[in-house]
Amino acid sequence: MPQNFISQTIDRMRSAAGMSIVISIAVAVFATVHSGPYLLINTVVTGGMLALVATGLTLMLGVLNIAMFAHGEFFMVGSLAAFYVFTPISEFISENPESWLVNFGPLVAIFAAMVAGAAAGIVSEKLVFGPLRRRSTDNWVMNSFLLTVGLSVLLVNLHQLIFGADFKGIVGYWSGMPVSIADVYISRDRAMAFVISVVIVALFYLFMTYTRTGMAIRAVSQDITGAEIVGIDIEKIVLLTISLACALAAVAGGSLLFMYPSYPTVGLEPLYMAWFVVILSGLGNILGAVAGAFMVALLKVITVEYVGAGWDFVVPSALIMFILIFKPSGIFGSDVRGVLDQ
Amino acid sequence: MLLEVKNLNAGYGYLQILRDVSLNIDTGEYVCIVGPNGAGKSTTMKTIAGLLSPMSGTVMFNGEDITGLPASVIAKKGIAFVSEEMNLFVNMSVQENLYMGAYTIKEKKVQNERLEFVYDLFPRLAERKKQLAGTMSGGERKMLAIGRGMMSDPSLMLVDEPSFGLAPQLTSNVFQSLDVLVDNGVTILLVEQNVTKTLSVTGRGYVLENGRIGLEGSSADLAEDSHVRKVFLGV
Repeated sequence: MPQNFISQTIDRMRSAAGMSIVISIAVAVFATVHSGPYLLINTVVTGGMLALVATGLTLMLGVLNIAMFAHGEFFMVGSLAAFYVFTPISEFISENPESWLVNFGPLVAIFAAMVAGAAAGIVSEKLVFGPLRRRSTDNWVMNSFLLTVGLSVLLVNLHQLIFGADFKGIVGYWSGMPVSIADVYISRDRAMAFVISVVIVALFYLFMTYTRTGMAIRAVSQDITGAEIVGIDIEKIVLLTISLACALAAVAGGSLLFMYPSYPTVGLEPLYMAWFVVILSGLGNILGAVAGAFMVALLKVITVEYVGAGWDFVVPSALIMFILIFKPSGIFGSDVRGVLDQ
Repeated sequence: MLLEVKNLNAGYGYLQILRDVSLNIDTGEYVCIVGPNGAGKSTTMKTIAGLLSPMSGTVMFNGEDITGLPASVIAKKGIAFVSEEMNLFVNMSVQENLYMGAYTIKEKKVQNERLEFVYDLFPRLAERKKQLAGTMSGGERKMLAIGRGMMSDPSLMLVDEPSFGLAPQLTSNVFQSLDVLVDNGVTILLVEQNVTKTLSVTGRGYVLENGRIGLEGSSADLAEDSHVRKVFLGV
């Protein structure tokens, strides 16, 4: 048995997914030894948040076949909601430093961001995607893509019109001494951002794998007619998926407010990064998106460290193009898809 | 009458395929629709299953009007549709596919009972429960599609072209599995191009030509009918 297990592991490592994971880990270890553990921490925090945005994107693409280019704006909605909820909370905290809100206030703000994102998602489904879906007969991918670009422009300018173009940021969520892990100091905000992303991605994964509704979402993404035949209400699943995807992006926006203050186009960078992840890891693969998020984050952090801060978009996208030449379905692109494609 | 279709007209966009199709199925019957390519057999099935809304006419199921209801609602009422393309969830395991078939059943206990039942019917599926549906052979996938249809404990099963794209050996396997279902008291409406085989196993049949019901009667009579023999069997 152990021999069998070893040969299976080697087989897995020789696949594109295995190779890229091994290479990423090797690079991460090397960079950590070479420049210090803060690189690893940056990677993990950025990667965790990127994973949230990218899973949402994957979900939209897989279930609804929408190439979502307004996803960054839901990140923005999240950061905006968190800002307006947290500002009064932080004033209250500075007057009452003993209050329970010192520890839980930021969580309230992040939760508010999630709710705002889900609500924004539901509104956009009701007003934008739903009507198009009912009327569109063909060319859905192109039409819905254009619609998301329009939605993005609309939301960016609505933000500017109503809340102004200035930076709406906070000093930090959790005050106090940084957390120390093995001689590395991480600010509490970063540590919490990482914890939040891990918890949410894990919950989300469990939800998609084991619950009846999560399985229904996957079923719709794999065969919409099959899903209808077995009695799944497509409209309900679609609405749920959009609100989930938008809530995931908004949580990322909310919990990163201390790093990215809210302004109209704050969502652009996470959007592009999430698209890198989705393209790199293969369309519609949720676990792949999580792994891909950490890879892209690593690439970005390494580039900033060794090449220069201005190159953090150039190197990842160049490498992704290079990888796609050899594996067009993405690193974690499913081998099964295509067998039954009609 | 379990299923009663009256004067059904249906089609795609402006293209009308079915013209005044009427048919009846009683509980426990094994009924087939045969006909040449493009006669509207699959369109009839899709319309009954709710994937296509009819232009006019009525579909009554268990005395209830289900005309034009969405497919998911019709599935809840107890009609299982095994489509020609099977529409399996290719990236899910066999067992997950079967559980999805029982989506309309809420109680986990009943779902597991159904799962046992289907595994008893098709032991091959039990052997492969962890395998992804998309990696199975054509015959196994047919079997899985039929098994998934059975999971919801339907009172009527619509089976569309089960032999489509299968080798002759596998075709007879699929027919055998349908026979097992009939022995278990399931009502089946079968659509097939393999006329000889179909008429030899079913009890009653309808002949669909150019979107109209041309002939109907017991399968044995249809198999002897000179028109059927001339058009479909070439003798």
